[in-house]
Amino acid sequence: MLSSNMSKGQERSQTIPSIAVHGLTGCAGELLVILENLEQLIPYVRVASFPFAQSSNEEDRPVDIAFVEGSVSQPHDLERLLKIRAQARWLVAVGNCAVWGCVQKGGCRNQSTVSLLHETYGEDSPIECLPATPLQDHVRVDVKLSGCPINATQLLAVTASLLRDHLPYITSKPVCLECKLRENACVLIEQNLPCLGPVTAGGCGALCPTYGAACYGCWGPCEQPQMEAMATILEEKGYDMQEVMSRLFAFGAPDELFERVKKNLTAKS
Amino acid sequence: MERTATFKKDQFEQFFCLLKSFGKVFAPVRVSEKSFSFKSIESPSQIAFEALRTILPPKKFFFQQHEPILSYDENGIHEVKPETQQQVIFGVHPCDLAGLGIMDKVYTASPPDPHYIARRQATMLVGLSCMPDKHCFCKSMGTDSPTSDYDLFLTDIGDKYFVQIHSANGLNLIESMPDFFSRPEAQEDQTFKDFWTTRDKAFSSHFESENLPAIMDMEWNSQVWDDLGNRCLSCGNCTPVCPTCYCFDMVDVASLHANRGERVREWDSCQFVGFAKVAGDTNFRPGPVDRLKFWYRHKLHGFEDPHGLPTCVGCGRCTESCPAGIDDIVNVVLRLQGKPSILVTDKKKTQAGGCGTSCGDCQCDTADGDQHA
Repeated sequence: MLSSNMSKGQERSQTIPSIAVHGLTGCAGELLVILENLEQLIPYVRVASFPFAQSSNEEDRPVDIAFVEGSVSQPHDLERLLKIRAQARWLVAVGNCAVWGCVQKGGCRNQSTVSLLHETYGEDSPIECLPATPLQDHVRVDVKLSGCPINATQLLAVTASLLRDHLPYITSKPVCLECKLRENACVLIEQNLPCLGPVTAGGCGALCPTYGAACYGCWGPCEQPQMEAMATILEEKGYDMQEVMSRLFAFGAPDELFERVKKNLTAKS
Repeated sequence: MERTATFKKDQFEQFFCLLKSFGKVFAPVRVSEKSFSFKSIESPSQIAFEALRTILPPKKFFFQQHEPILSYDENGIHEVKPETQQQVIFGVHPCDLAGLGIMDKVYTASPPDPHYIARRQATMLVGLSCMPDKHCFCKSMGTDSPTSDYDLFLTDIGDKYFVQIHSANGLNLIESMPDFFSRPEAQEDQTFKDFWTTRDKAFSSHFESENLPAIMDMEWNSQVWDDLGNRCLSCGNCTPVCPTCYCFDMVDVASLHANRGERVREWDSCQFVGFAKVAGDTNFRPGPVDRLKFWYRHKLHGFEDPHGLPTCVGCGRCTESCPAGIDDIVNVVLRLQGKPSILVTDKKKTQAGGCGTSCGDCQCDTADGDQHA
């Protein structure tokens, strides 16, 4: 246990590991998943801070595990993130926003931050905004748990591992594996839907294809996704290359990957 | 042991009850317009007798997708006893029986796998005859008739099923209802033989497999692997659907309860980049070309290990379930042998029409569009 070296007889609040749950710029989907599953964590952790769910929160004390949702999209996100990092033993990025930047990075890639700001809030808006970035662009992230929103089972497994001082195992195998294990008819092959299962990290249990819809990549890329091959196959099915590119990168991905694929696909056409 | 019997198709309900008396019955069930899956069934009306290949092969009943092997707690480490149930797998075609024969070799070799063996022993395998489609090439791999360890095999001879009895379990079952089964008459023996002769002539996909391992060695640096591998999505679809892909990953899963957890075995795929990754981030097969070639080699040549067998049984599942159209084993072999063949990657070079995958689902030879019809 993380706090097992503390002397016996201390308050419960000081002898069991503490967690903090923070949200930066995101939809609060991860916060909801954590809240929904908090009952299972409560026996093993103390919730030191969870501004989304409780009114009394510790501000300036160290915590064992900090879960952070959302991307860094505003200057005060960054300030908060640096502070959270400084106080956390383990920093867990939860959800696609925190891990990859999600739609505010991927979908807005070709738009200027200023024009987005003006279109959304008006030209005289007092809101300050930055290009959306994942946590790892600014601080060391110990665990990246993607999802949109995250999978509760994975959340509990990550917490269990960190409570034992183990870095957790999180699958980065593609959605196709989970889809095949459920014996779904392949929507990419049978229905020619633009399914991104082959290049998207699993963890969702192939939720969309199970209900007959194409995977749209919300978990972010799997380990070394074969994006160029994916684009080729979708193009052969009659999808427009521009649409393919916007689908492939709607949910955020590392800039290097985006640049590489853009370059390769441009060279090809 | 090989005895034979017949029963009338219109009395299948009674045969089904007989199977149920042995255990829970699983059979191919239709799950989409084109796909089937082995599922637990309660009535013969659920059975898709027309199913040629299920999405996952019957290996899933013995080598489970996700299975705790060990558990640990305050008192130490414990072996997890395999959960088993008496079961009947109905409707297994010859290729899948051959696939299970290979799985049996792998999982019963020393040290034997207690989980696999326990489930295998609690299972009755009831085979069913089939007619090949364009993706079937079991004949080329020599796995086109039931030769492995099955219990009963049913051949469709019109209004009756012709039953080959191959095990003591199978015989016991047949003998428990002696009035139900008949001895085949001479005419029925002939119909049985005729069926298999007709079937033998029905294969449209074929290659000579005699020199296959040698050819795989010779063509290790063939351009084919680069062409196909560069189209590979590394989605791994080809391996769970393969009747003989037996590789797994082991993960330790901690419990929120202090000091408890499990070691879990899960299906893995050599097509995933993490599969051959070792300490220091070194990877023996870093790219999709390396990985695809490796998989083809295991299927058509075999590893340099005691089993050393080509592990392809010609079921055509990989061909059908590859989104990139590159698991076209028949055409790859023909190409490596220097014979007439069409590969999906030829399309780019020739700009010929059709989807190029010889998928048969579109008008490959006549259409000039790219899309599957």
